[in-house]
Amino acid sequence: MVEFKGSPAAGDLSVPLSIDELHILIDLIEQLLQLLGEESFNQRYQSDDSFDQFLVAAMEDIQSTISQPEDPVLKRLLPNAYPDPESADEFRKYTEPALRKLKQDHLLYLRQQLVLPADHKSGRADIAISDPTRWLIAINDLRLALSVRLNIDQRSFENYKLMPDTDQQKPLFAVFFWLGGIQENLLNHLWR
Amino acid sequence: MSSQTQVEEVLDLSKFFDHLWVTIVWDDPVNLMNYVTYVFIKLFGFSKEKAHELMMQVHNEGKAVVASGTREEMERAVQSLHEHGLWATLQREDHGRV
Repeated sequence: MVEFKGSPAAGDLSVPLSIDELHILIDLIEQLLQLLGEESFNQRYQSDDSFDQFLVAAMEDIQSTISQPEDPVLKRLLPNAYPDPESADEFRKYTEPALRKLKQDHLLYLRQQLVLPADHKSGRADIAISDPTRWLIAINDLRLALSVRLNIDQRSFENYKLMPDTDQQKPLFAVFFWLGGIQENLLNHLWR
Repeated sequence: MSSQTQVEEVLDLSKFFDHLWVTIVWDDPVNLMNYVTYVFIKLFGFSKEKAHELMMQVHNEGKAVVASGTREEMERAVQSLHEHGLWATLQREDHGRV
């Protein structure tokens, strides 16, 4: 099981991960970054200046609306903020690019922390965690993305335990529950 | 002078109505209970006990009101909750209706 060491206060919070585990995380992060970059409206908001972005959005106001994304993973990661679709779309128009950017930034942050060990024979690397909240957010988004693909519900863990090893989806379920274990252990470690 | 003040007071009523907005967090089968508690503490400054209580309400009743305030404040709260991966919406407070 994944064991965290150190503390944020002392600045030495870290977790040892195997090369296989690092590759799984890096692969998931890159897939999700790609998905978040697709169907994206960021291209329209090239400027970093928020007033420019506001102007661009206002100019396009009349013709364009941003509705809920088609992809079910994006639908879960970028949910409606209002129960009624009209208000939800209106809000989304001004906030979705920023929300995508935040999620991409958290994933990129985690990606940058996952440094593969120079010595590949050692098999493990101590990964430093400078910002546990961003870690938790990024891991959570990976879990949410996988949960949509795997149709996770309240009974999924029981079902997983009964799955035959030959089931092709079993490794992906294992990764999903492993990510949950990372999150749970990090939270317990922070609260110990 | 006094009539001017009265007009301003009437105009200020909009501020009063602006306060009738709430942020609701909805239950989902993926977010871990500990994580939801952590996010409530982080975003709203609740004690661990208060955050745990609200998390349990979301878990048991399917939803909970976690914040109330102006529409703008609730929009910011919902955006932050979405950033953290929680499922949240905002709406007018029901019993605030005339």
